[in-house]
Amino acid sequence: MFSKDIKSENFKDAETIIGESIKVKGNFQGQGNIVIEGFLEGSLKTEANLLIGDQAKIVANIEAKDAIVNGEVKGNIKAKSYLAIGKTAKIFGDIQYGEISIERGAIINGQILMISEEHRRGENKRQAEGEEEK
Amino acid sequence: MHVYIYDEYLNKNKYNRAINRLEIRLTDLGLNGKIIRLEAIKNIKSAIANEIKLGSKTIVAVGNNQTVNRIIGAIIEADSYGDFQQKTLLGIIPIGDDNSIADSFGIKNADDACNILLARRVEKIDIGSAGENYFLNQSTIESQGTVLEINNYTIESQERGKISIINLLSDKKETVKSNPHDGRLEVLIRTRKKDQTFLTTKTLKIHNPNYKLIVDDVVEIDTPVEINIRSGKLNVIVGKDRLFD
Repeated sequence: MFSKDIKSENFKDAETIIGESIKVKGNFQGQGNIVIEGFLEGSLKTEANLLIGDQAKIVANIEAKDAIVNGEVKGNIKAKSYLAIGKTAKIFGDIQYGEISIERGAIINGQILMISEEHRRGENKRQAEGEEEK
Repeated sequence: MHVYIYDEYLNKNKYNRAINRLEIRLTDLGLNGKIIRLEAIKNIKSAIANEIKLGSKTIVAVGNNQTVNRIIGAIIEADSYGDFQQKTLLGIIPIGDDNSIADSFGIKNADDACNILLARRVEKIDIGSAGENYFLNQSTIESQGTVLEINNYTIESQERGKISIINLLSDKKETVKSNPHDGRLEVLIRTRKKDQTFLTTKTLKIHNPNYKLIVDDVVEIDTPVEINIRSGKLNVIVGKDRLFD
């Protein structure tokens, strides 16, 4: 159902994994792939990909390149490249995406807006410049 | 010149044979040097600093995790540590139980250790610090009730289990990867619910009013305590079968 480029298996060697029984509070920022199976409150941002498990509960605004959402999110989601919303997902907030797929059964209460091609090119350029400087 | 630092417990009769065999082997390999017994010195820090000033190239811990832990602490805090880092190496000869640190460096037993000392394969590695203590492998604490402060967020666990702050793993069967060259600590939380949490950081603070932090399976310390990584702080003589690249 989801893009072949982003699947749960891609997250096997994620840089960060938050287990089911763990609570995270605060501004969580990473460079690599992140998997959230537990509770997170605050903000969540990564330059890479994000997987939100079906038992996860997130009260935060989220930003990632690609994202798979299977759990509960109270907050806005921005997936610059691709957003996959699974059938167990419950999203209460606005969504911005580059490309999107939504499985039957998903619950979404909020606006769904595509990030314009121009805006995406600008973001990609800024990101590339940032990496060059490093 | 090599300086061999013997732990106190090696005085027990049951280790006599092992020590005799070790000393013969070291002589055969041309590795004999000065022996310092820990029970005979009052200040390990100044004893080690003195040996380094006298030109010792290799300090060898003969004993177990506790021996290594005491020597590391003394070496890092010695005034001449700068000299140590540049010129002098740390070797390990494991005797008896509780030798996970030697295991992680690919040193299986005393015989193996002698060959490894001779081969002199050196790795510069990171060291973790927990307050005023140091660790080569890991520090652990019960997960229930523990709060970790990392950068701009906190992590809490209410389930029973274990939190490990890892510099270098000592268990070959472990699936999680650690790297003592990357300037980072791996944080691994495993609860009895069988879920796993993993992330990396350079520094964190640990709080748990009910449980102590255990450093390298050797020292217990109270929290709150700050844990940091000290990059490339130690040159160690290691074996081929070490648990890192």
